[in-house]
Amino acid sequence: MADQIILRHVTKKFTTKTLGDIVAVDDFNLNVHEGECFSFLGPSGCGKSTTLRMIAGFEDLTEGEIELCGRLVSSSKKNLYVPPEERGLGMVFQAFAVWPHMNVFENVAFPLRIQKVNKVDINRRVAEALHHTSLTGLENTFPSDLSGGQQQRIALARAIVTNPKVMLLDEPLSNLDPKLRETMRFEIKALQRKFNFTIIFVTHDQSEAMAISDRMMVCDMGRIMQIDTPENLYNKPCNRFVHNFLGESTFINVEIRDGKAYPKGHPEQALDLPVPPDAAREMVVATRPNEIALKGPDGTGFTTHIEKRIFLTDRTEYLVSVGNQLLKVQTPHRVAFSEGEACSVHFVEPMWYPADDEQAEKERHRRQLV
Amino acid sequence: MANVKFDNITVSYGNHTVLKNFSLEVESGRIVCLVGPSGCGKTTLVRALLGLNKPETGVITVGDRCLFDAKKRVNVPAEKRNIGIVFQDYAVWPHMTVLENVCYPLKKQRRPKDEIQKRAMHALEQVHMTEYAKHLPNQLSGGQQQRVAIARALVVDSDVLVMDEPITNLDAKLREEMLLEIRMIQKRLNATILYITHDQQSALQLCDKMAIMQQDGTLCQYGTDEEIILHPANRFTFEFIGVSNFIPIEKGPAGAVLKCGGASPIPYDGEVPQEALGGGYELGVRPNDIVFDPSSPIQAHVTSRVFLGSEYNYFLNIGEKQVRVQQSMLDARTRGVAKEGETVGIRFLNTRFYPAKKGEQTV
Amino acid sequence: MKRYDGASAELAAVDGRKRLNMDKVMTAVCFVLLLIIVVIPIVMIIYNAFFNEGRLELGTFVDQIKEEKNLSAMWNTLKIAIGATILGTIMGVFYAWLLGRSDIPAKGLMRALFNIPYMFPPFLGAMAWDMMFNGRSGYINKFLRTLFGLKTMPININSVWGIIFVEVSYYFPFVFMQVVSALERMDPTLEESARIAGAKQRQVIWKITLPLVKPAISAGALLILTTSLAHFGVPAILGYARGIYTLPTRIYAVIYNSGGSFDGIRQGAALSVMLVVVVSLALILQNRILSAGSYDIIKGKSMRPTLIKLRGAKVPLLILAILTLVLIVIVPLVMIVLISFLKAYGLPLSFENFTLDQYRTVFASNGTIDSIKNSLFASITAGVVCMFLGTLVAYVVQKIRPKGKGALEVISMLPYAIPGTVLSIGVILAWSGRIFGINLYNTIWIILVAYLARYLSFSMKTSSAALLQVHSSLEEAARVCGASHTESLADITLPLIRPAMVSGFFLIFLPAMREVTTSILLYGPYTRTLGVQIYSLRDAGMIPQAAALATVAIGIIIVLNTIVTKLTKDRKGV
Repeated sequence: MADQIILRHVTKKFTTKTLGDIVAVDDFNLNVHEGECFSFLGPSGCGKSTTLRMIAGFEDLTEGEIELCGRLVSSSKKNLYVPPEERGLGMVFQAFAVWPHMNVFENVAFPLRIQKVNKVDINRRVAEALHHTSLTGLENTFPSDLSGGQQQRIALARAIVTNPKVMLLDEPLSNLDPKLRETMRFEIKALQRKFNFTIIFVTHDQSEAMAISDRMMVCDMGRIMQIDTPENLYNKPCNRFVHNFLGESTFINVEIRDGKAYPKGHPEQALDLPVPPDAAREMVVATRPNEIALKGPDGTGFTTHIEKRIFLTDRTEYLVSVGNQLLKVQTPHRVAFSEGEACSVHFVEPMWYPADDEQAEKERHRRQLV
Repeated sequence: MANVKFDNITVSYGNHTVLKNFSLEVESGRIVCLVGPSGCGKTTLVRALLGLNKPETGVITVGDRCLFDAKKRVNVPAEKRNIGIVFQDYAVWPHMTVLENVCYPLKKQRRPKDEIQKRAMHALEQVHMTEYAKHLPNQLSGGQQQRVAIARALVVDSDVLVMDEPITNLDAKLREEMLLEIRMIQKRLNATILYITHDQQSALQLCDKMAIMQQDGTLCQYGTDEEIILHPANRFTFEFIGVSNFIPIEKGPAGAVLKCGGASPIPYDGEVPQEALGGGYELGVRPNDIVFDPSSPIQAHVTSRVFLGSEYNYFLNIGEKQVRVQQSMLDARTRGVAKEGETVGIRFLNTRFYPAKKGEQTV
Repeated sequence: MKRYDGASAELAAVDGRKRLNMDKVMTAVCFVLLLIIVVIPIVMIIYNAFFNEGRLELGTFVDQIKEEKNLSAMWNTLKIAIGATILGTIMGVFYAWLLGRSDIPAKGLMRALFNIPYMFPPFLGAMAWDMMFNGRSGYINKFLRTLFGLKTMPININSVWGIIFVEVSYYFPFVFMQVVSALERMDPTLEESARIAGAKQRQVIWKITLPLVKPAISAGALLILTTSLAHFGVPAILGYARGIYTLPTRIYAVIYNSGGSFDGIRQGAALSVMLVVVVSLALILQNRILSAGSYDIIKGKSMRPTLIKLRGAKVPLLILAILTLVLIVIVPLVMIVLISFLKAYGLPLSFENFTLDQYRTVFASNGTIDSIKNSLFASITAGVVCMFLGTLVAYVVQKIRPKGKGALEVISMLPYAIPGTVLSIGVILAWSGRIFGINLYNTIWIILVAYLARYLSFSMKTSSAALLQVHSSLEEAARVCGASHTESLADITLPLIRPAMVSGFFLIFLPAMREVTTSILLYGPYTRTLGVQIYSLRDAGMIPQAAALATVAIGIIIVLNTIVTKLTKDRKGV
């Protein structure tokens, strides 16, 4: 697969009145393959939207260059900026951005009218786009009479009608209610299969990103943290931030002695885990609450007891004491323990992070507050 | 704080009866969530409690005090009922400072000035808003405004605190925080709270007990969250509180069979109560109670698999019937995942059997 | 929020008879007052135009229509109004776009400056332009003639085009203000998505931006149109002496020439009907051309819009904007002030001809002092009464919602579309002893009654908008906190709409202070208003004295405006 979107050393600095210079995007390098669905994922202010706007051509670059479909479209060095209308992109915005003064047909026909496509072709192509977005029959309706989901479909139809090679989606589902969000996600994937375009999908919602993407980039505070497939990112996060951001996490601080991991401040019982050879003296064991098996105290695993039981809609959550730390475990309702009951904890391939990651985490919070 | 008792309440607007002979008792010092789809009459019930509308029949008592009795013609006016309310939009008065907002109910009770000041500050303390006493509401976040509304409701030592979907306007993260906050305030004050919502998720997170109301304005179950989730009283509750799959079941030549359209009925080897075999029944099962088991006679075709992080989400076809399956990561890691296009054996755990809804019997 | 619909009705039912009575009284009071203030004058015009002493008599009406002077006046009215509307709209939209969407510097300052022409009384502007470019004696005209050795005056402001020019200068802010705020509130992704769809910047402006702000343009244009059709001051000053009449000035002439006789008033009523027909036609036409829709263009996360780089055009456009401001604000102002120091009109503008005598005369004259007092009295009283009455009507319409609330709304908004001149005639007919046996003619009260009718809709509009913002749960929360219905009204609802009431007051007070259109037909020997006094002084040839009084008037307006801005800024809440 060829690289369709290439970012080289892309950097964006803003000067603000109150905070001075801010590096919104710091030296981004990435390649998006043809036909791929690639997500930019991160908390607000991580630089994902700015990057998307630079690709679309709405923002200049402080440094670096962007190549689209083999053509250099932005370059700070050459002061070359192809205007957005000449980049041949499709784009869908969070607030739909359908034009309220045009009916559904005119909204979708607009890009073709600009291209001076003849009438017969316009009618045919708009009808086709409306068909694929389940809007047939609503041609003469105005957007204000339609629901949020339908408005977003108009935006999608308008984006696919020109048959672009690259589709930029800027949090397109955040304004929809949860049920509709899932349906639209399937529809976007179906459209991609049909029209075979490359998607860049910006979101702050990790489960949405994982559900839709082939690969994704997690970024934070203007820096790329990790780029990989959803499964790899979820299962092998490169640091504590990514681990925590991609889903519920639970952490145990451990001290390594004699090749065994003891919960910090609790030298009696070691965790039933092989310690990685390169482990430092102090480490953090990270895992997901629903990837820990909870069994009766049969002598295997780490023997302890249930500290607290919290009943949730679709699962039960247990806080299990590990030394003086609490481990969060989630099980289906059918695995039932009561508070105070003895149990054993079994980890399945947890991640190990250096303990000073915690320091970095605190620093991150501090900087966010500033 | 006191208990609240609704007895045989009927409210109608014109010809439309919203509540009919509704009875419910809320124990003192508990958070009780009144949950139901919008339009089920929960807001009407609360407005009757507050004295903002007038039921045709029934009795409402708070503690030993009768607030409304249709027969005895008792109808205490809204301003004398001593019930605190937090409205959906908070209804914090924008032209008054936080402190003035909280003082207002006391002023209306004509309390001495220094007492007003003392109690208002105390109420603000309880919701951790003392440092914002001099602020105007438009300088506060949604969550902070809610706290002001709670303080205003608390300041007069109301017998009951009513909250009408106070967190629906907030984003997910803040919603979670606010629920925790309400819980903590309730614990501290041992208040009786009647919490109205259509969102079963937040109800489950918050309440001691839940009252589930059906669309027609009747109460279909009242109990703790665990009772309701593990033993839903009827199909409505089961469907309302989570995602569910339903498969028609009936008696075959050799035991129970599942009717999934397609060629032949599929034999079902699980336990089925006698009455469910009489026809017109459906098997209900939650997506996370379906597990892969190659030995099962129920074979399903995997149409899609989506990785969601904490779980895999599958759509399977049993015959022509689509079912949804959630596989936890633990299960995925220990037993492996199914691929799209594969045929797998599945087994249902924690099954329930309900009469089918009208019009859905033939699939 | 649908659940709360009908909440007040529910409350009413709970409260039983007491509340119902209070609501009924309020509703009845509204209907009676509106009947007296608005309906009767309008009915009187129509009646008198077509009936005489109880008999149908179309003679007067037909005569008036046939009269050639009146026909040409109607034609002029239309030409001026349409011209001013088209040019004013173009100018307003252009500057709104320049300030709202381009990267022109000093935006905040420029925006504030562009609002000045809105406060400036147009008839004073007309006076200033007449001083400069009068076809016979304009100062700049004379200067240019000698400079270039011309035989005739180079520019004649006393023409239809002159009138259009002056009206455009002071009316374009109607469009400008509406459009600039619409542009600011517009979601920038609406424009960005058009760029992505392949449209060039220019195409985006024409196909997306302008159509989206069309409702704002339309609303502003409508304001220019109706204001211009009904306007008296500018055509009176620039056209009257030259025989260029518009319908409002014709109505004035007919009544003035007849010495206030009943016949003259009947002729005026007939002309009024013509004017109302013209206004209605214009409204229909405008509706056809710019059918106003209300789009929801305020959405999404607020993001700074991509400003369009003017590059090379930046400096010329900036100069153009500044020049426009100088031309329509500074130049007339300077001219009026200069003339006010002149010993006699016509003398060269040199230092030895300057004196303070005019101001001494102005402040020594009883008539002038009286006119200031009259204006202050009528404007303040009208402002206060309208503020309460408008709020009452708004409350009845928005919260009580009785049967016939639609009629109530229409009646209270009616004077908004009816020219001030016409309203004055109706007021004369109603209050000169003809129907109630009450004769207010030649007293300040008749002017007050006319102001009430004319400005009621202003305060009703602002209070209505504010009441809509007061969610019924705010009142209910007070009830639950132990307040009775009256207490919740006094403690919650009224304080919440107080800022709107106050701004409603100023919306009435400020224009009433400077208006001539209504009072020119109603003043008596001792009841001249400030505007009428300036107009009469000028009419009597005492131009420097008129200019001195005009300077004083402008001073008063500036001071008042500053106070208003201060007051509205400090207001807390909402």
